[in-house]
Amino acid sequence: MTTPPVLSVQDLRVEIAGQPVVDGVTFDIAAGETLAVVGESGCGKSMASLGIIRLLPDVARQTTGQVMLEGARIDTLPERRMNGLRGARIGMIFQEPVASLDPLMPVGKQIAEALALDGAVPTAEVQPRMLEMLERVGIDRPELRARQYPFELSGGMCQRIMIAMTMIRRPVLLIADEPTTALDVTIQKQILDLMAKMRHDTGAAVMLITHDMGVVAESADRVAVMYAGRVVETGPVAQVFARPRHPYTTMLLRTIPRLDGTRKVPLPAIPGAVPDIRSWPKGCRFNTRCPLATEQCRSAVPLLEPSGSPGHASACWNRDRIETELAP
Amino acid sequence: MTTPIVSVRDLKVHFPIRGGVLGRVTDHVRAVDGVSFDLYPGRTVAIVGESGSGKSTTGYAVMGMETPTAGQVLIDGKDRATMTAAEARAVTRRLQIVFQDPASALNPRMRVRDCIAEPLEIHRIGTAASRAARVQELLDLVGLPASALDRLPREFSGGQKQRIVIARALALNPEVIVCDEAVSALDVSIQSQILNLLLALQARLGLAYLFISHDLSVVRHISDEIVVMHRGRVVEAGPTDQLFAATRDPYTQRLLAAVPRPEVRR
Repeated sequence: MTTPPVLSVQDLRVEIAGQPVVDGVTFDIAAGETLAVVGESGCGKSMASLGIIRLLPDVARQTTGQVMLEGARIDTLPERRMNGLRGARIGMIFQEPVASLDPLMPVGKQIAEALALDGAVPTAEVQPRMLEMLERVGIDRPELRARQYPFELSGGMCQRIMIAMTMIRRPVLLIADEPTTALDVTIQKQILDLMAKMRHDTGAAVMLITHDMGVVAESADRVAVMYAGRVVETGPVAQVFARPRHPYTTMLLRTIPRLDGTRKVPLPAIPGAVPDIRSWPKGCRFNTRCPLATEQCRSAVPLLEPSGSPGHASACWNRDRIETELAP
Repeated sequence: MTTPIVSVRDLKVHFPIRGGVLGRVTDHVRAVDGVSFDLYPGRTVAIVGESGSGKSTTGYAVMGMETPTAGQVLIDGKDRATMTAAEARAVTRRLQIVFQDPASALNPRMRVRDCIAEPLEIHRIGTAASRAARVQELLDLVGLPASALDRLPREFSGGQKQRIVIARALALNPEVIVCDEAVSALDVSIQSQILNLLLALQARLGLAYLFISHDLSVVRHISDEIVVMHRGRVVEAGPTDQLFAATRDPYTQRLLAAVPRPEVRR
């Protein structure tokens, strides 16, 4: 028997006021693997992650689906036990590192506190391990930095502290929600490199939530593209980028200005905007913006089906027409 | 040889740091420290840099929202510092600015028609009827339907709100628009729509853009010339195609190397 994936999400559905903001999302992440969940605002990518760790806002609730961590269901666990998993088995980092840290506590103490939560660490070991962790996340002069407060550190350094605090407990799953979006591009690169190193060292599975196709290309093994609450395409990053099998992915990749593109010409835009959740169309939700849409797309929901290479799947009635009719 | 519509000469904007019990000025933050460039009609100059590089402060100085500590901002050859009040007011009509977050740039209680007409009213241009016609024309220009007129900003998506802001910026027939991270907060699919709109408006109206952004891919796409700023100084500047073909400055190279690219290289 093979080992189960670290995270397995089956048919996850999250509703707000009866509207499905996450609508039947399914994916697995194996140990040592990074899955990027990519989409525009309002596509449900953050709600899916909050559903997985059961930290949904009060207005939202999970209605169907199951979430398994290392083969065991966690969506039905009592809250007390779920709380024991968060931070310990499932690490989380968010967009605003400064807001995620306690402003009134030296950062070293915050990391030590996280470590002490696991109980088994002898008191004498806490301090040296905290300092070692600071060094591993690339913070120079760890003794000095450990005594400083978040406001004394830059955004990039605070995100390093967050990563140290999260990874010191050796989680099997790391959920990173737009971890570099608030950072400058040179700092973003450093943080993505650091996350890759941490994943390599600990073998953690990483769920990376982002809106940036560049970040996906550079740091994920597989990608799940979300649109209006659903995964519309998933597969190995190289395959999905080289030969997208959903019109949304195809058009999204083309619309981004590229460093090797033709300058000052109109970009191939996707018409319209992501529809408001209260007016999501019937059938395929991309049908209002899709040049290939037919009557079938407006009435029936396409399911994720294998298309092309192994592990690559898309939810489109017209995937065979993409290459001929959406030619650049 | 045409005169540049905006000419920035060795611009310095320093902010005092006060310290001690008496609040004496102990030092200065050199937010902008010796920046020069020319912006010609119909052209786009991009200022690119990371947070704290001074790119926005430079834009504010061009707009007259920040007073230079030293150096000059010339509008059509005339120094902002020596303008009379009437001249300065006339200049405000020729330069407009569009910010990053359209939601906070629009009054949530004002209908779209009033948002866009406001600059015309402030400058007492036209009659009520001619203003209404102009608002209609502007909506058309930015690709919004006439049904938008009587709605409130909150009824629009982020991209549509930015279109409203751009329509308002165009109301006074400006020659220059300072775009301060104007597409940075927008979703990818909307960002390209707004970039296309900016390019189309430039071709049609002959606008000059001072395009301030941290995004090198966007800047490369839209600009004719680039000024790379780092800690208040210009580290590299030149025509966009040349600069991207061969960057000479190590900081620009580092910046360029850090851009995550949407193509798989592994």
